[in-house]
Amino acid sequence: MRDALTNSMRASHVLALVLLAAGLMFAAFGAVTNDTFYLRLATEALIFGGLALAVDILLGYTGLLSLGQAMFFGLGAYVAAVVLIAIPSFWLAFGAALVAGILTGLIGGFIANRVRGVYFALITFGMAQVVAKVIYNTRSLGASDGLIGVPIVKINFGLFAVSSDNPVGFFLFTMAYVGALYLIAAYILDTPFGRLLIALKANERRVPFLGYHATSARLAAYVLAATIASLSGALYPMLRGFASPELLFFATSGNAVITVITGGAGTLIGAIYGSVLLTVIKSYVGSWTEHHLIVIGILFMLVVIFLPNGLMGVVRPWVEKLLARKTRS
Amino acid sequence: MSGPVLEARELSIRFGGLRAVDNVSFAVERNLVTTVIGPNGAGKSTLFNLISGLARPQHGTVFIEGKPYRNAQPHQMQKAGLARSFQITNLFFDLPVAENLRLAAQVLEPKRLWTMPVSASRRAAEVVEQLLERFGLQDKAGYLAGALSHGEQRRLEIAVALACRPKILLLDEPTQGMSHGDTEHTAGLIRSLTSDVTVLLIEHDIGLVMSISDQVIVMHQGQKLAEGKPAEVRANPAVQTAYFGHA
Repeated sequence: MRDALTNSMRASHVLALVLLAAGLMFAAFGAVTNDTFYLRLATEALIFGGLALAVDILLGYTGLLSLGQAMFFGLGAYVAAVVLIAIPSFWLAFGAALVAGILTGLIGGFIANRVRGVYFALITFGMAQVVAKVIYNTRSLGASDGLIGVPIVKINFGLFAVSSDNPVGFFLFTMAYVGALYLIAAYILDTPFGRLLIALKANERRVPFLGYHATSARLAAYVLAATIASLSGALYPMLRGFASPELLFFATSGNAVITVITGGAGTLIGAIYGSVLLTVIKSYVGSWTEHHLIVIGILFMLVVIFLPNGLMGVVRPWVEKLLARKTRS
Repeated sequence: MSGPVLEARELSIRFGGLRAVDNVSFAVERNLVTTVIGPNGAGKSTLFNLISGLARPQHGTVFIEGKPYRNAQPHQMQKAGLARSFQITNLFFDLPVAENLRLAAQVLEPKRLWTMPVSASRRAAEVVEQLLERFGLQDKAGYLAGALSHGEQRRLEIAVALACRPKILLLDEPTQGMSHGDTEHTAGLIRSLTSDVTVLLIEHDIGLVMSISDQVIVMHQGQKLAEGKPAEVRANPAVQTAYFGHA
């Protein structure tokens, strides 16, 4: 008999392939029509999808509500921006954001994991606010204006290179990058360690009696989510040419939580779908009225009431059944 | 190996003015069923909590195979070879039955498999299959644990505790709330476990206690009142006073 949770993850992969196909078509369409605006918007949706992925690891798998995940996203963006301004090397910026994600994740995790539930949410919120305010008031990081003047970066793969000012190229690159983050997260969540995180969400108090140190596992999940958020944030200054303190604000963290819940918590791919969906709605409604947050707010309430498991909560079980039937026959 | 597999020495814990467990010592021999009985509030579950690391004794030490464990945490006691079930069913209700068992069995896998997909954890998968069969849960493997009947959940509770292949199994009222038929079936199951593990049990069903125990420990108001073979304990006047108010 196939493992039910592995089967669910496979269903997420099928839905990821659907999104990938749609992305490729979109890129082709963008290339033909010589579009810049929508390609840039879609790239941004994917980058924020990476942040939502990090939130889903915590919320959907480990059962931890982080209200400050944007802290790691913003730190990744600032670290990458600082490095790129000094030396415009993608791989250097990537490495710096990776190290920054792991280190700040460890520090933040030591602080936040001392408490649970509502207190965990409040501490993650508080830490993010403190760090955001520090950056907001640091002249050398551009203070409230943000860090501007990030140069165009050539991402060198040896055989070919992608320039961050090429809308199609950078969109495809971002899709591959966020796709890789998704695959890494999906792989980890299907290992015994990943199952341990799922067990923490299901019943944390039982976990120690199975021989696991629950606090260490929770810390590891936190570091993983911090790293993924930081690596996602690192792409932001390459796309927009700057990093701003707003990236660390609660609006960004809260938006990521809304994204995950709308897309479907605990499905991983729901985070990306949610980000794409919310970006589309925001830009569409935004062309009619500047009060698009009202629409997002109402939509979020409707989702919570009528689709408590989000978009993927409706779609994925259907794919799971298809897959289960296929493996049985 | 000789000597008791589990020994409690002078365990004590106080909650405010209440001596919940008061200077309790006992030893449990390998591959036997030892049952702790006593009226409600006698300190039986607290004793289990002290042994399994859920509560920290203010005084006393637990020995497993002669090795002392003071103030050990639950995961350390598990590593020492001790597993437990709970009086109030404590499962992963939102996860499939098979996953409940797999999570408990995956500690058996070597560290290198922890970074591989779970499909590589063959040993855990085998243990899951064996336990599903032994506990009559094969047909329910894909059900969420929360969707099982009470009796099935109680059985799964024991199976989860067994999945890590412990040396010592602490069962806190395993038959609590079970039907008569289920209780008898479970008693037979517990008896059959002793070929691999040592069982320490809390049980209220006196008939069951007398039939499956090799040794009985009677607790009363936090203290150990008596200890011995089931028949000896039943004949003990102090036990009769504690239970029935007269000798």
